[in-house]
Amino acid sequence: MTEQKRPKWADWADHIRSLDDPAKNYEKPEALGDLTIIDLSSRSMAGPYCSSLLAELGAETIRIEAPGGDLVRSYSPNGFMHRGTGMAYIQEGRNKYHITLNLETEEGRDILKSLVGQADILIETFPAGKMDAWGIGYEELAKINPRLIYTSITGYGQFGPESGRNQYDYDNVAQARSGVQYATGEVLPEGKTLEDMPYATSTKAGPWIAWAVSGTFAAVGILAAVYYREMTGEGQALDVSTPEAYERLNDYMLHWYADQGVVNERFGNLDTCLWLYGFYPTKDGGVFLGGLRLEMWKAFVDIVGKYDEWGAEQWTTLAPFMKKDWQLKYQAMINPETLRYTSQELTMKSIEYAKKGRLAPITPVVAEIVPPWSAMHDEVWRDRGVFTPVQDPVYGSIVCAQAQWKSTETPPRTKWACRPVGYDNGFVYLKYMGYGPVKLWEMTEKGII
Amino acid sequence: MPDVFKDYVKKKFSKPGPLKGVRVLEVCTLLFGPSGPSFLAEMGAEVIKIELPPAGDVTRSLNPFGWFYKEQSPMFMHINPNKYYMALDLHIDMGQQIFKELAAKADIVEFNLRPGVTRRWNIGYEHIKEVNPGIIYIEKNGFGQWGTYAEQDRPSNDGASQALAGYAWMSSFPKRPPLKQSIWICDYYGGLMGEVAVLAALHHRRKTGKGQFIEMSQTENIMRVMNWVWPYQQLTGKGVEPTGNRDQCICPADTFLCADNLLAALAAPGPDEFLGLCQAMGKAELAVDPRFQDHTVRLQDENALAILKIIADWARTKTADEIEALGKEFSFAATRLHNAKDMNEDPQRRERGFVKEIDDPLYGQYVEHEFPVMMSKTPPKIKWTVRPVGFDNEFIMAKILGRNQTQIDELYLHGVLGKWKDMQGRRPPSDWDGQAGYIIRR
Repeated sequence: MTEQKRPKWADWADHIRSLDDPAKNYEKPEALGDLTIIDLSSRSMAGPYCSSLLAELGAETIRIEAPGGDLVRSYSPNGFMHRGTGMAYIQEGRNKYHITLNLETEEGRDILKSLVGQADILIETFPAGKMDAWGIGYEELAKINPRLIYTSITGYGQFGPESGRNQYDYDNVAQARSGVQYATGEVLPEGKTLEDMPYATSTKAGPWIAWAVSGTFAAVGILAAVYYREMTGEGQALDVSTPEAYERLNDYMLHWYADQGVVNERFGNLDTCLWLYGFYPTKDGGVFLGGLRLEMWKAFVDIVGKYDEWGAEQWTTLAPFMKKDWQLKYQAMINPETLRYTSQELTMKSIEYAKKGRLAPITPVVAEIVPPWSAMHDEVWRDRGVFTPVQDPVYGSIVCAQAQWKSTETPPRTKWACRPVGYDNGFVYLKYMGYGPVKLWEMTEKGII
Repeated sequence: MPDVFKDYVKKKFSKPGPLKGVRVLEVCTLLFGPSGPSFLAEMGAEVIKIELPPAGDVTRSLNPFGWFYKEQSPMFMHINPNKYYMALDLHIDMGQQIFKELAAKADIVEFNLRPGVTRRWNIGYEHIKEVNPGIIYIEKNGFGQWGTYAEQDRPSNDGASQALAGYAWMSSFPKRPPLKQSIWICDYYGGLMGEVAVLAALHHRRKTGKGQFIEMSQTENIMRVMNWVWPYQQLTGKGVEPTGNRDQCICPADTFLCADNLLAALAAPGPDEFLGLCQAMGKAELAVDPRFQDHTVRLQDENALAILKIIADWARTKTADEIEALGKEFSFAATRLHNAKDMNEDPQRRERGFVKEIDDPLYGQYVEHEFPVMMSKTPPKIKWTVRPVGFDNEFIMAKILGRNQTQIDELYLHGVLGKWKDMQGRRPPSDWDGQAGYIIRR
């Protein structure tokens, strides 16, 4: 990283860093240290992601798996395993206690009820009806613990005409059902078919974003329910459907169709609503260019030396640029200009322009489109604590994305990465049930744990 | 259906929202900033959106291909429901004083500005903490409040985060250029995660009386979502590359072209699900094929590609609806790809009240998404949409600060409070009668 002159407000940066640097997280209290969570998630990563967010804030989180472990432990590219665990769960087992319990047995369900009597929050992702059929649905458990916040995350919700489906919730299916995938992807040029260009089709996001969104909405709902419970003493049931959660982040599509009959279609790397806003090629890859105010678009045109030629001085509004034909016209004009530079050169031009350009401090957003490999090795994110490896006693040094936000008082933190199946049976059953080694052996023999 | 959700939609308005009594001030524009406070407003918090008069939030200008709804930006409408609209000039001392008076009576304040701006406006964390030690104060932006990128004064937005996080890189088909999402995922998702931080802080405050300062970079936040990517890269020494619609951690999980040229997505990694899919294809023997029997083995690239090819050939002989129906019958996850028409017409979304009609005094009846967490005792609900710039000034000033009309007029005179500019998206719709929607009428 080259030395740079610090900005006028550097004392602010230093001051905030002194208060919220993740390196000091362990000097601070935890916001949710008083809450106990039972995570029964099965097959869905939305549940474990939700409980991770709460466990990062100090909630004592008991992850219950069927003996043998949950299927999510096998989720990994190319089937790659590290000490028996896939890459997905090695991230989202974080800070949790892992126990096994066979809910197919009556004794197992009785144990669950005892744990629920001592818990604040329960998270489950079974197809709707499964928990009720076992006799451990919300109604039953609320009798034992009326303060319980019982959270279901599923594909089709707890009520509604499709809720009876005996199907688990998967991210790619949720992305497809949300309407987002439909409108994302490369445009198939006229006269071409999918046989010619199989990639010019509706395309889902690479990360498990639907699961992450439903898990995060669930976490937000849980925390709001905790707030209400602290005031009234009442627990409740929460129902999150993953496709709905992800669809909520879809903006105008629903309304556009209702009012105009327009089905929002794919627009490649441009944006139906925004200008300047898209991905453009460079000598060595590509950049995102953005500027939602007229001056930012003009500043970009100035940076590539076309301010006079394209008549930027005369532009008084961005409105015509948002129209489809203008977007395509200007995209074709911009492409050869950005191709004259590397991504880094364009980025630095934008930063310099903010200091010396004719429209300074206004400057367009320029951001290199990097592979995840580069993101992980970017010194700036490392300095901000995002990729600090966790020193895990079982799995060794593991890079865990963390410090997704920072705070002066109760920041999130990652203490351990994961645990093998049933690793905490001894501790948790002793702490919550008073079961010692003799009883545990007996239960293992009976196939309960 | 569990009894607890019986008549949920019908009885929604017989129960409070969970955040009843929580007051939030937002000084936010575009999407990343305002989306978070909206989620709180949908859960019953009182959210006051403070804009700079007279033009306000720039989102009021944004629109898909020139379509406005009653002269308002549909984006702005969707992202800003249930709020009270105040226009206060924070560049001037009297505006800053009013803000502090409001903040003294608020629980949460939210900003999305460049680092250091709130301090320049004398409403930084230290200023507000003086008048309200319990305040929960969040600043959201591209690169946080410190670090090299922040100190370069780089502007940012959703697309930049998709680019810088590696998110876009891994979202295209193999060997194709990186692909941007059609939704502003890093904005909306950042807004959502910000509320995890805020609500956890609220819980901590209840126990200790202490407030706090929170900062979020939207790029760092979206990297949290890409969970498996990081240890995979670390432990294998290989970079993650895109795989199109195929989920590279789960097999089979992909989107397929069907006989009717529509698309269907399915997933069947569990032993029962995989067997169900094989049976649906009339090829039960595949479930015991050594290449496919065990999920970890099935995930190995050559096996995964082999089974996906078999499914793709089969899918081409079925309609998308047939595949969805077979998924129901054989208990593996499957759906036809939904679009905006499905969003509007699907009975599931309607009966759950997830898609519903709003009846707004200024903008009339229109269709909207409900908050996607159904809460049995405290249903979240969207009630109204956006307002012109400064529309609720009088109400806020009277209700919270006890100012009378003479005092309020004085503030208008000094330009502390402002009303909308005569401009699309800022002023009321042209059919407005001069009264509708006002809480305090003159």
